[in-house]
Amino acid sequence: MKPIIIAAALVLSPLIHVFGLSRPEADTLTARGSSAYATGDYVTALDLFDSVRTAFSSPALLFNIGNCHFKLNDIAHAILFYERALRLAPGDEDVKANLELVRQNVVDRVNELPSFNLGSTWGRLRGGRDADQWARRSLGACLLFFVLLAAGVLAKQRTLRRTLAGAAGLFMVGTLISVAFASFRHGEVTDDSAAIILAPKVDVRSEPRESTTVLFVLHKGTKVTVLQVKNGWSEVQLANGSVGWAPPTTLERI
Amino acid sequence: MNRPNYRWILFPLALAAGFAGQAQEIGFTAAVDRNSIATGEYVKLSINLTNSQERSETPSFGGLVVVQGPFDNSSFNYVNGRMSSSVGRTWVLTATTPGKYTIGAAKVRVGGGIIQTEPIVIEVTKGSSRPSDPGAAQGQSRDPNLFASISLSKSKAYVGEQVVATYLLYSRYANIELSKYDLPKMDGFWAEEIDLGDTNWEDELKTVNGLQYRVAVLKRQVLFPQRSGKLRIAPVELSCVVNRSFFNRGSAISTRSNAVEVTVMALPPNAPADFNGAVGEMEMVVKADRTEVKANEAIELTITYAGRGNLKLLEAPKLNFPSDLEAYDPKVTDKINVNASGMNGSRSFQYLVIPRHEGDFPLEPFIFSYFDTRSGGYKTIQAEPMTFRISQGDGGPVSAIQRPSRSDVEVLGKDIRYIRTGDLHLRTAGKHLFGSLLWSAGMAAPALAFVVFLGWRRERERALSDVVGSRRKQADRVARRRLIEAEHALRSSDRSAFYDALGRALHGYLADKFGLGPAQMTDAIVRERFAVHTDGEQVARDYLTLTAACDMARFAPVEDRPKQQIYDEAVALIGRIEQLVRA
Repeated sequence: MKPIIIAAALVLSPLIHVFGLSRPEADTLTARGSSAYATGDYVTALDLFDSVRTAFSSPALLFNIGNCHFKLNDIAHAILFYERALRLAPGDEDVKANLELVRQNVVDRVNELPSFNLGSTWGRLRGGRDADQWARRSLGACLLFFVLLAAGVLAKQRTLRRTLAGAAGLFMVGTLISVAFASFRHGEVTDDSAAIILAPKVDVRSEPRESTTVLFVLHKGTKVTVLQVKNGWSEVQLANGSVGWAPPTTLERI
Repeated sequence: MNRPNYRWILFPLALAAGFAGQAQEIGFTAAVDRNSIATGEYVKLSINLTNSQERSETPSFGGLVVVQGPFDNSSFNYVNGRMSSSVGRTWVLTATTPGKYTIGAAKVRVGGGIIQTEPIVIEVTKGSSRPSDPGAAQGQSRDPNLFASISLSKSKAYVGEQVVATYLLYSRYANIELSKYDLPKMDGFWAEEIDLGDTNWEDELKTVNGLQYRVAVLKRQVLFPQRSGKLRIAPVELSCVVNRSFFNRGSAISTRSNAVEVTVMALPPNAPADFNGAVGEMEMVVKADRTEVKANEAIELTITYAGRGNLKLLEAPKLNFPSDLEAYDPKVTDKINVNASGMNGSRSFQYLVIPRHEGDFPLEPFIFSYFDTRSGGYKTIQAEPMTFRISQGDGGPVSAIQRPSRSDVEVLGKDIRYIRTGDLHLRTAGKHLFGSLLWSAGMAAPALAFVVFLGWRRERERALSDVVGSRRKQADRVARRRLIEAEHALRSSDRSAFYDALGRALHGYLADKFGLGPAQMTDAIVRERFAVHTDGEQVARDYLTLTAACDMARFAPVEDRPKQQIYDEAVALIGRIEQLVRA
C-alpha cells in the first residue's frame, strides 16, 4: 500500500505544484523565507515569498516581498508590492512607513493627492478593514437583523416588541453600511488601474508608437493611472493630470 | 639728410696740397653711369675735382631723389716727384615718375674763378617693377625719409574672416626716437593684438620706389570684420624725434600713415540653423573620457574646435542632453596663437556631465557649422554619435537608504521596518468573500428564513382562529390516541377501561369531525350528518351499532363478540369515516 501512495505522490506532486500549494506548504515556505530574510539572504527570501504569491496572498506577504525588493535595491518593485499590500490593508502602519521611506528615492516628484485620508474617523472606519471582513460583518448583521425581527414578531409584550424592533433597525443600518463598505473596498482591491513604472526611464509620448513627441519622462517607482491599453502601449495619467502613452513592459499594474 | 661733415676729413688733405703748392691742371667733371633708366632704377652721379681742394656746390638733381649718398672719396698720388690729387663725390639717384630730368651744373670756385660742369639730362621711362607696398609708396609721397604705413593681408574678406593688419614704420634716419603713436580706432572690426615683443628694426632693408629704408613693425593686429561693406581703417598718427645726439637736440617730425579700406563681403544667406558665426578653417573633436559609468559618477565631455579663424569668438555649444544627464557649465581651455598668420589653435569646452539615473542615453550627434573661407561656403561637421551607458549606482544590497539628490530629506540611519514573521494570514489569491455565491447565500438565507417564518406564523394564526377546522383536523389524531389507550387496556385485560376508551374514541372522533357538542351526539343528528355523504347511511348504522355495543359492554358484563374484534371494527370504522368525509 505504501509504495502506491509514494508513487501517487510522485505523480501528483507536479500537479499539486501546478494547481497551487496547500496552505501548510505555503506557511512552511513563508517561514523559511522569513528566516532567510533574518540572515540577510534577501534573494532566497524573495524567491520563497514569491513562490507562494501566485496561490496565496495577504498584506503581510506582499509587505515582506516589498521589503526583499527594497533590500535588493529594487526601488520600483518595492513600491509596487508596498502599494499592493496597502491596497489590501489600507491602514497598515508598517506598510505606510516603508512606502513613505522608499518613495523618497523616487525621482519624479508628482504632487500626488492622498488616495484617502486615514486621519479622519470616516477614513479609518472605511479603510481599516478589507472587503471580506466587511462582508462577514454584513452577514452577521443581516442574520441578527432577521432574528431580532422574528423575535419582535413573536414577542407578546408591547414594550419588548418595540425594543426588539429598534434593535433590528440598528442592525439593518449596520448591514447596509457593511455592504456599502465591502463593496467599496472590493472595488478598490479589484481596481487595477493604478500602475508603477518599473523601467529606469520612460519616455511618455503623445501617441502609442515610437518616435513621436516625448511629452514627459518618468522614472522608476512613479505611480500612474492606466486609462487604456493599445498595442501594448498604456495611456497613463499622472496625479497632476498629465496624460501620455508609455511603451510596453515599462510599467506593472498594482 | 644724413650728411657727414666732410670739412674735417678734407682738412689734412688741404694741408698736404698746400705743401705741394704746385699749380697743376685743375679738372672738374660730372658724370652719370647711364642716362636712361626706368622708374625705380638707379643712376649714379659722380662729381670729380682734380688737383684742387675747393669745395664744390651740390648741383640740383632736378626732381631726382637721392637714394644713397653723397659718398666722398679722395685720392692722392705722388709719382716721379709729381703730386696729383682728386676729390670726388657720388650720389645714387632714382626717379619715382617717368619723365625727363635734368641734373643741374655743379660749380666750384677755384682761384677766383668758377668752374662748372655741363648739365646732364636723364630720361626716366615707366618701369615694370611695381613698388611692393602701395601703402608704403603712398606714405612715401609725403615724406620720403620717414613714413608709416598700414598693410593688410587681404583687401577683400568675408564677415568674420580674419585679416592681419601690420603697421610699419619706414625710416631713413640713423637715429630715431618714437615719442608716441596713436593706433586708429577700429570701427566695424573686432581686433586682437599680436604680441611682437620689443619693437626692433628689421635686419633687411626694404626698398620702396628705389629708396632703401629700415623698417620696424610697430604693431600687428588680427582684424575680424563685423559687418559687410567698405570698412576704412583710419591712418596712424605718430610723432618722433630724429637725429638727437649728445650735441644735438634733434628735430621733431610727425607723420601719419595711409588709410586703408577693406571690402567686407556678407556671408551667404543659406546659413545652417546651428551656425553661430564661426568663420575660418576648422574642425571639431568630441571626446568623452568614458561612456560607461555608474549613476551619479561624472563624465568629462570635451568638445574641441581647432583650426584657423575667429576661435576666440566661439561660444560654448548648446548641449541637447536628455533631462537625466546633468551638465554643468563648461570649462573653456584656449590654446590659441595669434601671430602674423592670424589666429589659430584650438578652443576646448570641457563639460562635466553627471548622469542621475541608469539607462542608455543616446546623445544627439554634435553638429558644428562654420563658414569655410577656402571654399567660400558653409560646412557642417557632425561628430560620431555617442551613447552613454549608465549602470545602477552602488549595486548590491543596501543596508541603509541611499540618498538621491533631494536636499530636504534627512533619512540618514533610517531603514525600512522589519518583515512580518509568523502567521502571514495567507488567503487564497483572487478569492473574495464579498460578491461570492457564499456571501449572497448568506445574505439571502436569513431573509428567506424570515419569510418562511412569517408564512408559518400566519398559517398558525389562521388555524388558531378556526376552531372547528382544527378540531376536525385533529379528530383523527385524538381518535388514534384513544384507540392506543384502548389497545393498552385490551392488553392489560382491563375491560371497563377498554370499552370506555373505545367509546370515547368513536364519540370524540365523530364529534370533532362534524363539530358537534356532546349534547348533539344523538342518533338522529349523527344519521343526518352522515346522510349528506354517499353510502353515509350504512356507515352511520355501523357506527351506531358499534357505539351501542361499546356502551352496552361498558355497563353490562355482556360481550357478544370478543374485544379484539370490536377494536378492529372500530379502527376500520374510523378509517371508513375518514375516507367518507374526505371524499
